[in-house]
Amino acid sequence: MKVTFTAYHAVAEWKWDLPEDSDDTCGICRVQFEGTCAKCKYPGDDCPIVIGDCTHCFHMHCIGDWLLSEQSQGKCPMCRQPFKERVAQAPVEARAARHTPEEAAQTPART
Amino acid sequence: MAGMSSKRLQKELVKIQGTLPPGIALVSAENLREWQMDLSIPDNPIYPPTEKYRLRFLFSPSYPIEAPEVVFLASSNPERKIPIHPHIYTNGIICLDLLDTQGWSPVHNVESISISIQSMLAGNTKAERPPGDAEFVRSNRQRPRDINFLYHDPSV
Repeated sequence: MKVTFTAYHAVAEWKWDLPEDSDDTCGICRVQFEGTCAKCKYPGDDCPIVIGDCTHCFHMHCIGDWLLSEQSQGKCPMCRQPFKERVAQAPVEARAARHTPEEAAQTPART
Repeated sequence: MAGMSSKRLQKELVKIQGTLPPGIALVSAENLREWQMDLSIPDNPIYPPTEKYRLRFLFSPSYPIEAPEVVFLASSNPERKIPIHPHIYTNGIICLDLLDTQGWSPVHNVESISISIQSMLAGNTKAERPPGDAEFVRSNRQRPRDINFLYHDPSV
């Protein structure tokens, strides 16, 4: 039997690569991370997520508004530690391909 | 930032209209600027379980970046008194760290604030007003969030 495709409709799904135990909604705007902050229209790269050193995640625009306000004192809204953006890391396989294990161990994290 | 408070409050309203913890009830939320909640306090002889206490929340357009203003309201019909507590003034102003600019965090919400105030009353053992209550009520013209409270006794 021969099957001929005349048309197809591709469907893709995406999710942010967030810490394992992360909430699925932004604590500031209460919208899912895969949705947008209150100001944005389109999710994804237009409304990215920031991961803190403390592992708490927020829409970049939400945490930005909070950190700009005086009362934030630069603290994470969840744990009140100073909020520091974690340096994004490539997945382990991708890093291993570029470094030998010793090199990787000696290479300080980029800041 | 105008859209921020309305979107977040609409989400909170949907949740609050669904379920709320015992002793906490939504009284009115006719707009996205002022809401009222009623609290009742279980298991504390200072606050008879039949009495309800009314909270008024005022939201600015930059809520939740900015804390809401939360005070107790007194009224005669229905009867609502200002609960007696060492951190609640007779004019309804509440001295609670999470409501002032130092202690606020945007992860708080109407429900979590209501729970905090309810448990602050439930755990209270002193039927007293704050020190300097009469003088404060007579002279205060500041908005609650601008008041620099001294936290006399953090154990209360």
